[in-house]
Amino acid sequence: MPDPKPGTMTRRSFLGTGAAALGAGTVALGSTGCRGRRTAVPYTRRPPETVPGLATHYATTCPAGPRSWAVLVKTREGRPVHVAGNDEHPGLRGAACPQAMAGIQALYGPGRLGSPTLRGGPIPWPEAAGALAEALAPAGAGVLAPAGAGALAPTGAGGRALLLAGATTSPTRLRLLEDLGRALPGLEILAWAPGEGAGAQAGALAAYGAPLRVRPRLDKARCLLCLGADPLDGTDPAASRAFAAARRDPGDMIRLWVVEGPLSLTGANADHRLAVRPSRIAALAFALARRLRGRHGAPLPPGVAPPEGPDPPEPPPALLDVLVDDLWACGPGAAVLAGPAMPPEVHVAAHLLNAMLGSRAVALEPAQALATPGDLAAALEGARAGRYRALVAWGTNPAYASPDPDGWRAAFAAAPASVWVGSEADETASACLLRLPEHHWLEAWGDHRDGDLLTLQQPAVAPLYDTRQGEDLFNEVLRRLGHAAPGDHLARLQARWREEVLPLAGPVPFPRFFQAALHDGVMEAPQAPVRAALRGGAVREAAAAAAAAAASPYDLVLRPSYGVGDGTLASSGWLQELPDPVHKGVWGAPLSMAPADAARAGLAEGDQAWVQAGGGRALFSVHLQPGQAEGTLAADLGHGRKAGPARGVGVSAYPLLGAAGTTSARLSRGRGHQELPATRGRDPLPGEAPARALHRADLPALVREDTHHPTLYPEGASPGPRWGMAIDLTACLGCPTCVVACQSENNVPVVGPAQVARGREMHWIRVDAYGLPGEAVFQPMLCQHCEAAPCETVCPVNATNHSPDGLNQMVYNRCVGVRYCANNCPYKVRRFNFLEYNGGKAEPEILAFNPDVTVRPRGVMEKCTFCVQRIQDARMRVQGEGRGLRDGDVVPACAAACPTEAIVFGDLADPASRVSRLSADRRGYHVLDGLGTRPVITYLARIRNPHPRVAP
Amino acid sequence: MSPSRNPALAMAALDDQVLAIPEGAAPPWWGRAIACTASVTALGFALMAWTVYRGIGVWGNTSPVFWAFDIINFVFWVGIGHAGTLISAILLLFRQGWRDAIARFAEAMTIFAVICAGIFPLLHVGRPWLAFWLFPYPNQRDLWPNFRSPLVWDVFAVGTYFTVSLLFWYVGLVPDLASLRERARPGWRRGLYTLLSLGWRGSATQWAAFGKAYVLLAGLATALVISVHSVVSFDFAVSIVPGWHMTLFPPYFVVGAIFAGFAMVILVLSVAREALGLQAILTWDHLDAMAKVVLGMSCLMGYAYLMEGFTAWYAQDAHLARAFGNAVTGQYGWTGILTLACNVAVPQLLWRRAWRRSYRVLLPVALAVTVGMWFERFVIIVVNLHQDYLPSSSRPYVPTWVDLGILAGSFGLFFTLVLLFVRFLPIVATSELKARGDHA
Repeated sequence: MPDPKPGTMTRRSFLGTGAAALGAGTVALGSTGCRGRRTAVPYTRRPPETVPGLATHYATTCPAGPRSWAVLVKTREGRPVHVAGNDEHPGLRGAACPQAMAGIQALYGPGRLGSPTLRGGPIPWPEAAGALAEALAPAGAGVLAPAGAGALAPTGAGGRALLLAGATTSPTRLRLLEDLGRALPGLEILAWAPGEGAGAQAGALAAYGAPLRVRPRLDKARCLLCLGADPLDGTDPAASRAFAAARRDPGDMIRLWVVEGPLSLTGANADHRLAVRPSRIAALAFALARRLRGRHGAPLPPGVAPPEGPDPPEPPPALLDVLVDDLWACGPGAAVLAGPAMPPEVHVAAHLLNAMLGSRAVALEPAQALATPGDLAAALEGARAGRYRALVAWGTNPAYASPDPDGWRAAFAAAPASVWVGSEADETASACLLRLPEHHWLEAWGDHRDGDLLTLQQPAVAPLYDTRQGEDLFNEVLRRLGHAAPGDHLARLQARWREEVLPLAGPVPFPRFFQAALHDGVMEAPQAPVRAALRGGAVREAAAAAAAAAASPYDLVLRPSYGVGDGTLASSGWLQELPDPVHKGVWGAPLSMAPADAARAGLAEGDQAWVQAGGGRALFSVHLQPGQAEGTLAADLGHGRKAGPARGVGVSAYPLLGAAGTTSARLSRGRGHQELPATRGRDPLPGEAPARALHRADLPALVREDTHHPTLYPEGASPGPRWGMAIDLTACLGCPTCVVACQSENNVPVVGPAQVARGREMHWIRVDAYGLPGEAVFQPMLCQHCEAAPCETVCPVNATNHSPDGLNQMVYNRCVGVRYCANNCPYKVRRFNFLEYNGGKAEPEILAFNPDVTVRPRGVMEKCTFCVQRIQDARMRVQGEGRGLRDGDVVPACAAACPTEAIVFGDLADPASRVSRLSADRRGYHVLDGLGTRPVITYLARIRNPHPRVAP
Repeated sequence: MSPSRNPALAMAALDDQVLAIPEGAAPPWWGRAIACTASVTALGFALMAWTVYRGIGVWGNTSPVFWAFDIINFVFWVGIGHAGTLISAILLLFRQGWRDAIARFAEAMTIFAVICAGIFPLLHVGRPWLAFWLFPYPNQRDLWPNFRSPLVWDVFAVGTYFTVSLLFWYVGLVPDLASLRERARPGWRRGLYTLLSLGWRGSATQWAAFGKAYVLLAGLATALVISVHSVVSFDFAVSIVPGWHMTLFPPYFVVGAIFAGFAMVILVLSVAREALGLQAILTWDHLDAMAKVVLGMSCLMGYAYLMEGFTAWYAQDAHLARAFGNAVTGQYGWTGILTLACNVAVPQLLWRRAWRRSYRVLLPVALAVTVGMWFERFVIIVVNLHQDYLPSSSRPYVPTWVDLGILAGSFGLFFTLVLLFVRFLPIVATSELKARGDHA
């Protein structure tokens, strides 16, 4: 950053404003202290709660379009350094999601716009807000804008304005949007969530006449059927957590059936997975409904006629019978979920099945009405016809994430007035005249609805740049146009909470109530149950549509990437370099297809292929995915950005996004060959079982195998703890949450696609996947802290050695870099800094580093430390409390973030600790036990729960 | 059989023929040759500097192939050195008279090969400027190297080997340097040879002391022939990498080293013999004897490969079996097959006496052995590392052009040093030949 732009932040000013504003703003709640403080304030008086060297945590919420995650932000000296799940959230209990954790990177990312601009030139905020008001004002309305702000000159054009807003879970923001719609009659508002697919909402509209959303309540589920749904993908940690909890007791395990085309993470975890072309899933679902009625006499909802139609050609009818019997046996504990990429008829069928089963494991809840791709197309048509005087994009990026990105880019560029409100300068921003940077979510206020909970969002840091809270811009528009609006978003939020939420809490003064709510970040606020009747006509039409599904060359499934989601977070290196849980690809995504299809099309791994669908086409690298249904193509949304730091990474699948979910596609061979970088290894050889699994029925006969390896070195316990870990593979669902948590906590560098292609990724923990698609076992692999560690004996300079409390330590500044330790590590968890991976990093990017962890230079080996800094931190903490360490005092980042509590850390010297008890489990085993390395990590074999009537 | 018994070759003629080379003007081919090798050396050193500047990442090394060309080249060059030590020390102790004519040359090659080898352990570490931490020097931090680590053993083994080889070679050179001093006209050359010959006058006392020292150093060097490559093999044998962890490795490495070293001596000596007109001193008898050693070692290598396979089968260990299978099948199978062909099959041509005495057969065979032994180390290091215990960690290895450039540079350095040697020092131990002539 050689030439700081106005509004950019240097370290000194950052520390000053950060600490001062935090002290004043977020702690003395209710003030709006985060704004306007641009002077450096030295620590002549230490702000309360800020002790240099000690972390302060803030509960807040990470919004992500139609969903949000309650999080706990760790700040050091006023800067956020780590995001974890909120441990007060009853569904999360500290579980996090990779996308929320990557908020740290987006906050300090290089792509953010630092101050408002008009036609590329700087513009002061009052004028910028005036220009926005002018753009949104109804024609002829007097705008209370300061002189000179009429720079957008929207006179003479059509009278309407279009506001494309990102989807939100914030009730207060929804209220603001309603106010805007009421106050500005010429304003059309569309809420757009690009990764959601249109099928779910269309299905709900058809079935119930309202945009209801299905919320899985897997804590109540005994049998779960997913129709193309991927609830365990890691973006819903509460669902993963509930699912794993329902599998914990081997005597009473939830059974997971998955019917899907492409292999998803949920599909990999299934007890039974039926690979079915997506266009045939609806027919299969209705066949299940017929069987439920025929075999078990399941009651149909009133007014619904039995769905007619033929059975699908596959899978075999006997298997469908088993599935139906299993669902019926679970009754209200059975749940059917349809995936967002599925067409509406699958969703209708899922609603019907849940109604017939009387399922209590799914709940209907009201949801924001989202624009469908059809709505968007109509709006674009209108924009082309000159219907709008102004186009405004707020927190959404139609010039990239929409079915017609080029059309939207042109429309924004051609509009008389075009305004972009967002955090990271994106494709739409570059097409807009007026660019208004808003706060990152870690700098902003908000509230969010999360099922029966309300969560609060508060700033964890003073704004780094000259940005504004997005809602405040629109509040100001309302005021300037002479409407009543609160002074800022926090005032609106507090007013709403005072009126609507405070009564739930009982008779407490509002300031105390709000402070308590801010502290916890989450509170119970049950929604009224939705009473909606399934429409018979919808079922009839959906069954007819399912029966009439036309054969297409291929069915195309587009889904948000497991890492970068719908592309909003594409600038995060952590997420780009996060291996896809199924095919392990990084930095872009391939076109997955069934090997048989690829053979027919003459395509091999890495060949280029054109996909034509939804009126667009895109060129992908082909990946052969075993387990994928024939006739199915799958690609990820979220890659192929054309602006921002991630431009040029991967291919954008958005142009293929059809009007409704699964689309039919054509495939043609492209030129060239380009294998995507991936962290895949080889397939295990016959007889090689690096990870263990067993059927539930075999559990009673299981005997713990333990090998005692004699050693020449002195054995014997040293006083004090002996740290160890237990990882339950039944609970591990293979999501990459632990990887990102570790990366954030331990300053693990991002190395880029070329280095990953060479095999030089630096992750300290990785999730090994074996046995895909049918017999999947996910085995998180990290340093095993072996008691007889092969790495320690071969290091010529003693740079890696053993601590008295059982840690295999790595002394970075003693390491010479001979790499012998890594060769001799059978688990291959040691990572070498082949190049200066942290070189060239500047502010603000380096502010994301955890100050408790060394940033390693090149030429040095590194690996998992069991988060030794957290162990030290806990030691100091309990010393201050005058007590010894107790079980649960130390939680490494991976264990803290894991949604399913698969990872348990603790003291093996304490026989009562959780980790000791788990390590003694019959399912326990050590990876590569025969080598005699004596790891302190015990893995608990995965339990499979297949239906007894299905032959294994 | 010894050339010194040839009555046609008088002692003075020997001096004229051998010592005239450093005294006379450089032959025209010499300038061209050294320009060539020095440029390759310069390229190699430039790439080494680039490596130190940017990091090991400019090489193809990766996870799990943390060692690749760096250690292959190290083992290869240390091995090349072994022929020299074997010829000069062991054959001296066994009173093999034919060794005298080639001992000096072979010893020099040992020194040069160990210089080439010594670059790599230094260069391959992530932070070369801290490599001195491998030495056990007293320091205020009371930090010592880890004496359990084979890499520390390597430091001692290779360090000792280089020191003893250098001393042995230099002690043998002293009488010849004195001869050069006597023959040189006053000038810088004479000054240089005076300095280097350490006041050698050829007195009986000096000859007696020389004889004792020489035999003593020969005894030391003999132990080193066995120990150095055994210790180098411990880098692998002591580890738990499948395919490395084998008791077979020490003798297998020593045999391989002698094998590769003799092949290299045959190659270089043949060229020197023709270029410098030393056919009378370095006769076909010498080349024939060395070819027999190559043939014998080739058979031992074949036996070692068989034993590797036997161990893989007898251990009934899936990982070891896979490692052995990877050597001849799969992505890198061609390297193992090339190794077997070059090291076991091709040298069998040397059973025929006529072919041992023909450049047309001998030189291609020696070249094949050199290539084969380099690839043998590739198989041992890269092929075994790229797939070890956990399937998830297997990744392929592809070298970069920096790897290839540094390999070429090490050959450039070796041949540059050889060219300097043949130009400026007596390449045949004339004193020993004369002494043997006395006894004849």
